[in-house]
Amino acid sequence: MNFLERLRPAVVNGLRELRANKIRSLLSMSGIILGVASLVAMVTVVQGMVGNFRQFVDAMGGIEKITVDKQPLPKEQEHLAELSEGITMRDVDRLRRTVPLVRNISPEARVGFEKLAFDGRETSTYVNGVTADYLPVAKRWVDPGQGRFISDLDVLNLNDVIVLGSAVVPDLFPANVDPVGQVVKVRGRRFTVIGILNNIEGSGMQIRSASSRGSGGSWRWRNSGVFIPVSTALTKFNGNDRLSGLGLRIADPDQLRDAVEQTERTLLAAHKGLRDFSITTNEQTLEDFRKTEVAFKLSLGGVAGISLFVGGIGIMNVMLASINERIREIGVRKAVGARGSDLFLQFLAEAAVVSVVGGLLGLLVSTGIVGVMNYILTQALPTGAVATLDWAIMAQGLAFSVVIGLVAGVYPALRAARLDPIEALRHE
Amino acid sequence: MASLISIRGLRKTYRMGDENVHALAGVDLDFAAGEFVAILGPSGSGKSTLMHILGFMDTPSEGSIVFEGEEVARLGADRRAWYRSNRVGFVFQSFNLLPRLTVLENVALPLLYRERPEAAAAAAAARVALERVGMSHRLDHRPGQLSGGERQRVAIARAIVGSPAIIFADEPTGNLDVRNVDLVLDLLGSLIKEGITVVLVTHDLSVAERARRVITMRAGLVQEDRQR
Repeated sequence: MNFLERLRPAVVNGLRELRANKIRSLLSMSGIILGVASLVAMVTVVQGMVGNFRQFVDAMGGIEKITVDKQPLPKEQEHLAELSEGITMRDVDRLRRTVPLVRNISPEARVGFEKLAFDGRETSTYVNGVTADYLPVAKRWVDPGQGRFISDLDVLNLNDVIVLGSAVVPDLFPANVDPVGQVVKVRGRRFTVIGILNNIEGSGMQIRSASSRGSGGSWRWRNSGVFIPVSTALTKFNGNDRLSGLGLRIADPDQLRDAVEQTERTLLAAHKGLRDFSITTNEQTLEDFRKTEVAFKLSLGGVAGISLFVGGIGIMNVMLASINERIREIGVRKAVGARGSDLFLQFLAEAAVVSVVGGLLGLLVSTGIVGVMNYILTQALPTGAVATLDWAIMAQGLAFSVVIGLVAGVYPALRAARLDPIEALRHE
Repeated sequence: MASLISIRGLRKTYRMGDENVHALAGVDLDFAAGEFVAILGPSGSGKSTLMHILGFMDTPSEGSIVFEGEEVARLGADRRAWYRSNRVGFVFQSFNLLPRLTVLENVALPLLYRERPEAAAAAAAARVALERVGMSHRLDHRPGQLSGGERQRVAIARAIVGSPAIIFADEPTGNLDVRNVDLVLDLLGSLIKEGITVVLVTHDLSVAERARRVITMRAGLVQEDRQR
């Protein structure tokens, strides 16, 4: 007999039993529902976080970036504070000479959150002093037709030129005005706009949070900064030679550790042993994240696994109870010609139907869980939220529940198939 | 009349503790096509065991059964299931209809376990069988909504739906009132006109008297086999 021809009535029968015992079926499904829901939600959220974080790290300059920041002296060196000169352009020269593994060094001098004005329009944003090396270190560029970035000559001449982040442009200029070549005022000082930085956009992985809706979405903070020559920032705004930090880009990510060590030694020597700087790499961040990811997967996967296991036991239990109640039915079916394999298929299909319906309900629950997780994570992460449900993951979750149902159904179905028809008919 | 079933030296031995119990202790019988036979005997006489073996629900310990010209005493479980769905019908004392199925679905059930089940053809055959027993007006009812007599008529429809060669009726009137006893026995008796052999298994002499041939069993042996 054709397998499919035998399967259809078996499935119909399964649905009929499900309808006839709604409460009991729902209880037996609860494990599967929770298991599938947590499995799908877990995989979705963890995948979303991984994807989001990769983007985040890349936007921060990738793993070949080393960040040097100024920091207060540690407690045991506090009495030497007067000797500390901070991070300066002299450090940039020293590193260029002594750390050949570093390809680009981008000194950065934060001016602060400043008001920009053009022709009666105003906007406020962060103003940073940088050099030409900012582009390769931050992995940014200026699109063709959008002007140029700050050059070495601008730095050398303390030029009053400014490069705008793309998010700033619509706030400051009417749509029909080409910003390049215009003059904007920063703290009363006139700067010529020489270029506009490329626009960073997040991928589909993220959901825009309500607070950051608008152009650039959750990446707006990466598109809203403006840049002036570092020399201009230091002399005309900050009034000292202290940089806020350095961005270093190395040639070969495999040599990251060596580069970090060389940078640290050079700076320590130059700073007379004072630890007035910190060195961080994205590798550490990535590593921390990987550990978190593994921990997440293990704990949530464990929860999902246990609930699916319990779900399987629940199904098996209910199937055995159901078969005990229906021994007579099994006897009748055998008496009118059902083979052992017919009854095996019937009860296996019943278990499968329970698990498929349970799995579908689980998927429904998982969409709710993912929604809640997204809401929480949008509040917690600056880069916006995290995860969208993926058909492939949902299909996997469903397939998993079917497998559980089939495995759990085998033993009860075998018992039904092996019942002696005469004994079964005598059963009261 | 042509012989439908021919059994020789049929024995069925059960092991109970240390003792062997001979449910059938050497039975020789022949059943013709279209015969109305009653097997009479007290409980423990072996009549149920005989019915189960002849109905392909059980296998004998020894002996031979020739059914429609083929030796069937040592068939495997699947092959016996084939005979149950194609050549044999059962009517039970307690009706044994499935409570969740409608009358129509209950009657169509044996056809769904055949080689190539077709739901539409099975339903059509079930309608015909229900008409034969006068239950056409209750197709979509559940067994719980029917009286005892009606349930037994539905059960008879289920037994005849697959055009069997033989029907075994195990105390078919045990749960019925007097009026329905007559109705059901008349219905069973009328099936022989269609060439179906009807075997009535009972311990009730008045029921057995309705058959043309009464086989009396005692202690696993045929005590008397008389035509009336």
